[in-house]
Order: sequence, then C-alpha cells, then structure tokens
Amino acid sequence: MRHRGLVGLGVAALIALPWILSQGLLNASIQMLIAALFACAYNLLSGQAGMLSFGHAAYFGVGAFGTVHAMNAFRGAGLLPTPLLPVAGAVAGLIIGAIVGWFATQRTGPYFAMITLAIAELLHSLAPHLRGLFGGEAGVSTMRMPSLGLTFGSTTQVYILVLAWVLASLLALYLYMLTPVGRLTLGLRENAHRLRFLGYNVHNLSVLVFSVSAMFSGIAGSLQVINNEAANYVVFDSSVSASVVLNTYIGGVRVFLGPALGAALMTFFGYAVSDLTQSWLLYQGIVFALVMVFMPSGLAGLFEKSESLHRRFGAAPLAPFFAFALGAAVLIIAGAVFVVELMQRMFSQDYRALATTARPWPPIPLFGRQWSPTSPETWLVPVVSIGVGAACVFLARHVLFKLQDRQESRVSATPFNQH
Amino acid sequence: MNNAILTIRNLRKSFQQHEIIRGVNLDVMADERHAFIGPNGAGKSTVFNLISGNLTPTSGEITFCGQRIDGMPPQDINRLGLARSFQITNIFPRLTVFENVRLAVARAHRSQYNFWSFIDRAPRIREHTERLLEQVRLERRMSAIAGEMTYSEQRSLEIALALALDPKVILLDEPMAGMSSEETLYMAEFIRAITRGRALLIVEHDMKVVFSITDRISVLVYGEVIATGKPDEIRNNAKVKEAYLGEEVAR
Repeated sequence: MRHRGLVGLGVAALIALPWILSQGLLNASIQMLIAALFACAYNLLSGQAGMLSFGHAAYFGVGAFGTVHAMNAFRGAGLLPTPLLPVAGAVAGLIIGAIVGWFATQRTGPYFAMITLAIAELLHSLAPHLRGLFGGEAGVSTMRMPSLGLTFGSTTQVYILVLAWVLASLLALYLYMLTPVGRLTLGLRENAHRLRFLGYNVHNLSVLVFSVSAMFSGIAGSLQVINNEAANYVVFDSSVSASVVLNTYIGGVRVFLGPALGAALMTFFGYAVSDLTQSWLLYQGIVFALVMVFMPSGLAGLFEKSESLHRRFGAAPLAPFFAFALGAAVLIIAGAVFVVELMQRMFSQDYRALATTARPWPPIPLFGRQWSPTSPETWLVPVVSIGVGAACVFLARHVLFKLQDRQESRVSATPFNQH
Repeated sequence: MNNAILTIRNLRKSFQQHEIIRGVNLDVMADERHAFIGPNGAGKSTVFNLISGNLTPTSGEITFCGQRIDGMPPQDINRLGLARSFQITNIFPRLTVFENVRLAVARAHRSQYNFWSFIDRAPRIREHTERLLEQVRLERRMSAIAGEMTYSEQRSLEIALALALDPKVILLDEPMAGMSSEETLYMAEFIRAITRGRALLIVEHDMKVVFSITDRISVLVYGEVIATGKPDEIRNNAKVKEAYLGEEVAR
C-alpha cells in the first residue's frame, strides 16, 4: 500500500474518536464505518470484478436479519456472544450470495444488473408478508447481551466493536486482492472470455467473487443491527442498493479505499445536512452527477491528481492554484445551495398558500435573513457568487497552464545543456 | 490415422438454416505443423471455434488424445492440453504484461480457488512467468500496460498466453495478420521454435509462411476440406488451383 503512513494515522484517529466526539457524533461515526465497509464489499464486485449489481441491499438485509435472529435465539440468550455476532451476518450473506450469485452470474452486463435488481426487489416485496422471518412491517427488535465482561450498553463499546469488525474486514478485502483469486478477479473484469481459454471456470469464479462480496455486505448489515437493536424490511429498499452504488462511484472505484471514503463522507453529510434541508436527495444526486461528469475517477482520483501535481511542481508554486480552486468550490457551492434552498421554500405548499393571497409575495427567511423572491437583489446574490466562482475556476486553470508551460520550456531546454 | 492427436470426423455446424461447416474431416499428428488455408469465408475460424469450445458443433466428432471434446466448455478443453490464440487480439488490456502472463501461468499452479496465499510469494509462478516472457521477447516490457503496446507486441503476448499451460496442441489464428515483413519473418522463426515437441494447427493467409513452416496443409473451401497433403502436393493439386483461381498457391 502506497500510503501506509496515512492509513496508520487514520486508524489511530478512528481508535481515538470515542474520547473526542460527543455521543451523537460517535453514533454518526458508527454509521459511516458501516457504510464504508458496505461500499468496499460492493466495490469488490462492481469495481474489481466489473459486475455492476443494482441490488446489493439484498445481502446487507440478509446479514441484518440473520444477525437479528441469531441475537434472539435461545429466548434472547443469543446464538453467539455479542462480539462474534457479525459471523451470523457473514454466513447469511455468504449462503444467500452463493445461491443468488449462481443464477445472476449466468449472465453478464445489463442482464446481470437486472437480475440482481429483480432479486432485491423480490425480497423487498416479499419481506413484509413473511411475519415469522422478517417481522412484517414492524420488523424484528432485539437486545445486545453483555459478553466478555462488557455490557455493550454504551455507544463507545458498540463503536469499538463496529470499528474492530470494519477494520478486520477491510484488511481481509485488501489482502484478498493479493491472492491468486484476487488477481483473477481483475482478469474477470478485463476479459472474462479469455480466462475461459486459459482453463479457468469463469462461472465458478464469478459465483465465488459474488459470494465474498455478499458475505462482507452481510457483515455490514449485521453491524447495523447490532447498533440499532432492530431490523426492518426497509433494509431491502432500493434506496439502500442505490446509495451504495452512488457512494462507491463518488469515492472512486479504482482505489481500494475510495469507496470507503465516498461512503463515509456521504453518510456524514447525510447525517449533518438532513436536519437542515429537505433537499438532501437532490444534493446527493447533484454530487453524483458532477463527479461522474467532471472526475469519473471519484474523490480518490481527485486526491491522486493533486498529489501528482504536488510532486511535479512543489507546494509553493501550487499555492495560488489551490487557493483559487478552493475559492471556486466554496463560492459555486454557496451559490448553488442558496438557489436550491430558496426554490425549495418558494415551491413549498405553505408558501404557495401564502403567495396566492399576499401581494407582493412575502419575504422568505433563509440563513438568518429575509429574502424577497420578487426582488432582483435576492437573485443577484447567487449570480454574483457563482460568477466570481467561475472566475476563480478560470484563474486556477490559468495558473496551472502557466506552471505547465514554464516546466515544458525548461524540459525542452535541457537537452542542449547536456550535450 | 493411428498416431493422430486431434481427429475431426464429419464435423458440421449450421447457423439458422445456413450450413457453414459441411462435413470436415481432419487429422493432426502429435508432432506436426499443420496449416489450414482457404479463401475468406471458407469457415477456418469457425472450425477453430468448434475445436476450442467457443462454439458447439451441430453434428460430428472431435477427438483429442482419444477423448471426445466436441461440445465441452473451453476451460475443460484447455485443461486437457489444447490452447489457442485469437485472430483479433484477446488479452487483458488494462493490466500489465506481467500480470497478463501471470494470470495464464497461475492456472498451471492450481490457483483457480486459491485465496489463502499471496501470489507475490509464489516463486514458481514468478519464475514460470518470467521464463515465458523471455521466450516471447517481452521481458523488457513486463510492466507496460498490455493495451498500450504495439500491435506486434500484443500478438506476442497473445501467444505467450496460449503457451502458458504447455499445451500438446496449439491453435494459432492468423498470428501474422497486420505484421510488417520483418516482424513476420521473426514470428515464423518463433512459431517454429515454440512448436517443437507439440502439434500446431495454424490459420494463415501469408502463403510464404505457410509453405515454409508447415509439414502438411489442409484446404478448406465452403466448409469442406477439399485436399490435405504435403506443401508440394497442395501446390500441384488441380482442385486447389481451381479454388484459388491459380493465384498464390500455384506460384
């Protein structure tokens, strides 16, 4: 791993979190860790093996329900001690993953994607009717049992349990890629047809990769149940399948920890922003669309790019570039958020009702001020903000081009000095 | 034939109503270099696809080392010791050359389901990979991305992949297509070297190569073998001359 130091620092920070964060933020961290593991498990299948699944909620959910039943086994005594409960989720994910994978991997490309989608939807529509297994619409609730001298009553203890499982799982997923089967997984993505003529049974290999991905997704689902002490059929919802796809691609599929990064960030924003805005899903969609259009290698790709720039030009000459880029990002985001929030309030039912009677339209409170939607000054704010942001983009590009020009002229000058 | 390693009897293949392969019979000896020639659209590549398991025959028998292989999946045929290359370069484009060959080599070291050991810690796989890269003269291009190499380098890689399992029979589908005359010369020498001790079945349009490196030639026209024999016999065969309108072969 190239960034061994950075990863070590990150792990140390994660271990220190319970002593730094409030309970609320620690709970958000638990959800971020779970989403990160789910995204990495998903990326094994979609990024590394090249099989785009649109129904990974199925294995997350199967892991969740497997765990809830393991916890409730023997009249609540539990099938396994609390720290080992994710094993139940892993086994459930692995078994269902192997069965579904055997069918789904008979086909590739869009057909494969449709089969995975159909199976997740099947579970989602079936679950509320199977009261015994999925607890109907209410779901199944449970209790964490004390174990190994720990009560698992506090958020901190749950956090440590989740962290240990997530780190161990990520390490296992990373090491998997270094084994012969891991390398074959890449071959599967690159050219499955050729693998067959090298003597490999491609179907068995696909089922294996599918099952491993489902197993780690099951562990993620399991950790969520341990945290929530309940499982409900909504874990099979298509939005769960969709968000893991979005998180993975926002983070970047080409770098191992890219999906984890994407999932952690998006989960955090979801936690931080969903109380402040009703348009969170819109923002999520905008972020995904922008990432796909402007940086298809995701956030991880953005880091790699700035790293290579840094290596090429050094920190000091790049400072103005990064200052302009940061300024552009802040201003354009601020302008866009202003427009979205103002429009959302303008088109809300309450305001529509007000606006039919009041002349002129009453001002809208936003960010601690009153804004009149009919006044041009109101709309001038985002226009100026985005305009200045765009100018910053232009300046940032200009700085970068100048740096490149200067380096190229230096490179083309060197041969004369050498000879 | 008694010491034939690959026997094809009355092989037929139809796509919808059209019969493309219309009763092919062929014997490839254990240590011969056998060429498969014929005008475009005669069905040469289709026969390759039928032998290697890419397509299933409509009827007929294909026997390899005394075992029926018609209708078997490609990976099983490959494991018995029959490997092939492809006319259109068929590699792992975004992986390095080393990784490409290692994927092929790893199969010989029973790695299909090995997820408990690190591939970097398997010296036998590495040595085998390096040996093969040397053999196809790609040892210096080991860390290049396969899809970014020159066409002829990719053709060499294609053959390295086919050689990885040390097959008893190797099928090469137009290995010289698109190569310069210099590269063709090298490739002909190369094919001679790598097929020592194994059987070769080659489809090739370059007649100079075909007549210089092969022991026997079969001529396929409209899905039927119209003649099989030594290069001289084929050159003087009236039916072959007719099929080719006396052009290249008769020279």
